[in-house]
Amino acid sequence: MIIYTNEGNPLGLQLLVLAKFAKKTAQVQLVNLNDAKHKDLLVLPTLELDNGLRLFSGAAIAKYLLGDEGQRRDEWLEWSTTLLAPALEHHMAVGHRADPNALPVLNGLVKKLNDCLSTSPFLAGDKLSAADLSIWCLLAPDGTLKGAQNVDQLRNWYDKIKAMPEVQQGLKELPIKDLTFNALQQSNRYGGLQHVQLKRSSSVDAGKLLAEAASTVADTVSDEEINAARAAFIYTKAEELSQPRTVLPKPGQRNVLITSALPYVNNVPHLGNIIGCVLSADIFARYSRAAGYNTLLICGTDEYGTATENKALAENMTPREICDKYFELHNSIYRWFGIGFDYFGRTTTQEQTDIVQEAFKDVYNAGYILTESVEQLLCQKCDRFLADRFVEGTCPHPGCGYEDARGDQCDKCGKLVNATELVRPRCKVCNTAPVLRSSDQLFLDLPKSEPQLREWVDRAEHGWTNNARVITRAWLREGLKPRCITRDLKWGIPVPHKNFEKKVFYVWFDAPFGYVSITKRYTKEYLQWWQPAAGTDVELFQFMAKDNVPFHSVVWPSVLLAINKGNTLVSHIMATEYLNYEDGKFSKSRGIGVFGNDAQETGIPADVWRFYLASARPEGQDSSFSWNDLAARNNSELLNNLGNFVNRALVFCEKNFDSTVPQIVLNQDDLVLLALINRELRGYISSLEKARLRDGIRHLLAVSRHGNGYMQTQQPWVLLKGSNDQKARAATIIGLCTNIACLLANLLFPYMPTTARTMFAQLKTKQTPLDANKPLATMLLPTGHKIGKPSPLFTKLEQSFIDELKGKYGGSQAAAAQEQSSSADLEAAVQAQANKVRELKASTKDKSVWQPEVDKLLDLKNQLKKAAPAPAAAAAAPAPTGQSVEALEQAVQAQGEKVRQLKSTTKDKAVWQPEVNKLLDLKKQLEAAKGAPAPATPTAATDVAAVKALEDKITQQGEKVRNLKATGDASVWKPEVETLLNLKKELATLTGAPVAATQTKNKKKK
Amino acid sequence: MCDVATVQKIANCLGVSPGKIQLNEEQVVTRTGAQNKTVAGFATILESMARESKSETAQNSIVTQEVQAQVYQWIEFAVLYVAPGSKDKYVSKQLLADFNKLFISKSYLVGHFITLADLAVYYAIGDLIKSLSPVDKENYLNLSRWFDHLQQRPEIHQGETMLNFTTIYLHNWATGTHI
Repeated sequence: MIIYTNEGNPLGLQLLVLAKFAKKTAQVQLVNLNDAKHKDLLVLPTLELDNGLRLFSGAAIAKYLLGDEGQRRDEWLEWSTTLLAPALEHHMAVGHRADPNALPVLNGLVKKLNDCLSTSPFLAGDKLSAADLSIWCLLAPDGTLKGAQNVDQLRNWYDKIKAMPEVQQGLKELPIKDLTFNALQQSNRYGGLQHVQLKRSSSVDAGKLLAEAASTVADTVSDEEINAARAAFIYTKAEELSQPRTVLPKPGQRNVLITSALPYVNNVPHLGNIIGCVLSADIFARYSRAAGYNTLLICGTDEYGTATENKALAENMTPREICDKYFELHNSIYRWFGIGFDYFGRTTTQEQTDIVQEAFKDVYNAGYILTESVEQLLCQKCDRFLADRFVEGTCPHPGCGYEDARGDQCDKCGKLVNATELVRPRCKVCNTAPVLRSSDQLFLDLPKSEPQLREWVDRAEHGWTNNARVITRAWLREGLKPRCITRDLKWGIPVPHKNFEKKVFYVWFDAPFGYVSITKRYTKEYLQWWQPAAGTDVELFQFMAKDNVPFHSVVWPSVLLAINKGNTLVSHIMATEYLNYEDGKFSKSRGIGVFGNDAQETGIPADVWRFYLASARPEGQDSSFSWNDLAARNNSELLNNLGNFVNRALVFCEKNFDSTVPQIVLNQDDLVLLALINRELRGYISSLEKARLRDGIRHLLAVSRHGNGYMQTQQPWVLLKGSNDQKARAATIIGLCTNIACLLANLLFPYMPTTARTMFAQLKTKQTPLDANKPLATMLLPTGHKIGKPSPLFTKLEQSFIDELKGKYGGSQAAAAQEQSSSADLEAAVQAQANKVRELKASTKDKSVWQPEVDKLLDLKNQLKKAAPAPAAAAAAPAPTGQSVEALEQAVQAQGEKVRQLKSTTKDKAVWQPEVNKLLDLKKQLEAAKGAPAPATPTAATDVAAVKALEDKITQQGEKVRNLKATGDASVWKPEVETLLNLKKELATLTGAPVAATQTKNKKKK
Repeated sequence: MCDVATVQKIANCLGVSPGKIQLNEEQVVTRTGAQNKTVAGFATILESMARESKSETAQNSIVTQEVQAQVYQWIEFAVLYVAPGSKDKYVSKQLLADFNKLFISKSYLVGHFITLADLAVYYAIGDLIKSLSPVDKENYLNLSRWFDHLQQRPEIHQGETMLNFTTIYLHNWATGTHI
């Protein structure tokens, strides 16, 4: 039998002991659920029987292996898995997961055990059963019973079972000290048993049985950790970090080549672009250098293609001038953000042309290029082929005939259009009619390289982020199709092939080679990185946003595999999701969001931006930039946590020890602190090794949080005033804290290089290498080391300042843009929103779902009213209610009618007198109203009641239509829809112009 | 969810007298049956009822030791993961994905026949399935198929409204486009 379990899982011991009692041999295999080959395992531990059957329930396994031992045992088994195990896991949880309820619940459960054992020697009676073994294995780890009171029977039972040979054998394989209920979090994909709500027993409080302190983190520190922390904390002069002028890979060492997706030259990058690739790559590169790997970080601007050509046309410059202008812009933004590229180049270089052309020849010679004829529209006046967006014409779809359909989509019927199918096409630039030309284009034969690519992906994808794997798998699942790699443009790399001299390469064929050509600009020995010699391993890390994944995981690798010259292929695709701006999208045209150059203008230091962006990095899922969050993180994490700790430590050292690191004599408290810090350090290293930058920050901040907590409990300021012994103790505390501050500076360096340098200056020391193989805190500043002058590292971001920025980059600009937007745009928006509302209402009856959308619609309609030109506005002015002359006249008339009718039907005055009184009242009101100036817009004098009635009718009719539609027969519901539309029209005329406008649009749509 | 009401429903399915079902002081469900014999714990109660019942489901559930062990583990899974996890956004998503994967190649949780395992998970996951949109139901197609298949049995749905698993989206083509 095989027991699959994860490291530290106490339930693994349970299965092992059960197996030993059943006289079966079981082999323990430690596995990781994230491992692809164990994706079929649901819950750990899982026991695989010799016949291949897999069982993951301890109770089921006990019953299966040991047979029937009575109902009492079965009840205890179920009790232990459903009540005791979750309580133990909750009990061990710390931080935000900590559950104050866990200890009282656990006390209750332990009391029940003790009570049972005081009446019988074993849980299920006189004989030992699987229940005893299972429950013993749950109580043994984490020292749960350590310090417990009033549980003598339980203790006797505990010792009796512990002494059994089978248990002892089990413990040899899985020692108690390695087991902890924290490991359950990794035992399934549901995060352990955290979701199980603990139920408090309704009977009387069990009182205090278990020691309370067991729940603090410090008690989870094992002796091994303490010893390791003590052994590591010694001073050895660290070698200085130095980097050769030109970094080249070396055999036998770790060589890390890092690229950041090349930003397209004609946009100003926004914060999402910056964290998506360049900043992430830079943080990782800084870490990688600090860890002593040979690291090269390459990036540059991607400059060829239609977009640049168009931008050049728009700004009346040549493409080259546009590129020069925007290259500088990019370069300066990245420099401001402190991005330390080894080389920031561009794709419009001779090196790029040479490399791309040679690569093409290689691919061609290897037989991976196809020629196919493609029909395209050519504008003879402009002398160029028209991209989809640059041709307009009449929509070819029957019944539409919209005259301004674009080459890719018709705005009216919404259907996709093929540019060549447009009726009477015209060039958007010069308005002349283009001609249809078929031209030959070159295609990359992706289907041919698919088998090799699949094989490579299977091997390589373990190092990729999940989204990169998913996107690539999706592409492969659909099967690859040949991809056109040439374009009829001028701004690009000429195709070195007969009859194709006038064409250029499609930007996605040439751009990835930019990484290579930019490396070539950096060093002539670039091939050492890109075609390393045998024996030299180069790991290629590519950072990008998820939209770039297919080109890095499918298209480019296919090209390189086709070339087959031993090119470095990507081992780690680090793809981020999208960063939103305050829950919306960044939009340059609407001025929403913070762009690279804006960040500089805010006056917030680049390092704070770097820190915030890294901690909000969209790893795993989309995340949002939020000003409040930025301020909160700066104020609570940088200022109050990290900055506070460092500054306190240094100021104490300066004021009380003459700026000299005092003698450090570690006691148990100090070692516990170091052990806890070592845990975080290990987390930091393992996160950054996988470029999980967000997690890295979490561990870094935890280090300074431990430091703050330590200082708070030790209170060196009190000790400094005490006896000599106490003063010596204070010296150790300050010396230790100063050292931790130095460690923090090193950990912070990848994220905030400028701040880290300031810290090094205040500590009068230099950056030291991080040892990824031995992540333990060492003494960085020896006794006697002189530190510099401390000063605060961070400043507070005031809410008023943040509000100001929020207004500047979101609210007001957005509002301004909306004001400017024509009423036509608004009409379109109203229409779209109305459609959305209709759809929502049809799909669900849940008002809470569609109400927000309805509100949005009303809001838009209001805006439209405001934006509409004056006459319409007048017509749409809110109708004076009740008091208007017309309304009153109508009311009088109606009431008169009513009175007449009443009088004719009955002679009972008591019946009609009240109505007559009402009539008289109304007449009086009418006279008064006539005396007042008449409302300016008599046409819009809407009778509220009438509108309400109509609205009700519409709702009813709408409901009817929906129900009918659900039955499906068009001939049945069509007439009802007509009725509904008529009603809506009526309502529109009643309520004024704007709604009518929507209505006419609706009609057009039919 | 793995509570008094569910035990009663499953007793109905199996055609056994539920006896007195209640929660004890530890909030654990208990059953007091004939001769005042009390059984505590959802899974243990289900096992006891299976022994009493003559129904096909009960017989299936104890046909071999292996089947019995697997049935038990799924009942425990329903208690420990499905019922409490359904209330957690993250856990419920993972549960749906896991079950959906499981039912790619299976029609029932254990073996090729309906067992108590199916019943326990069915009642535990019911509310979660009910909350799914039509699109989600289609995303978890295999799970939906299993659930829909079970709910057709009168002894299982017990008169409750059946969930709609129709995959034709009326609302998608019928609104907005009055062509």
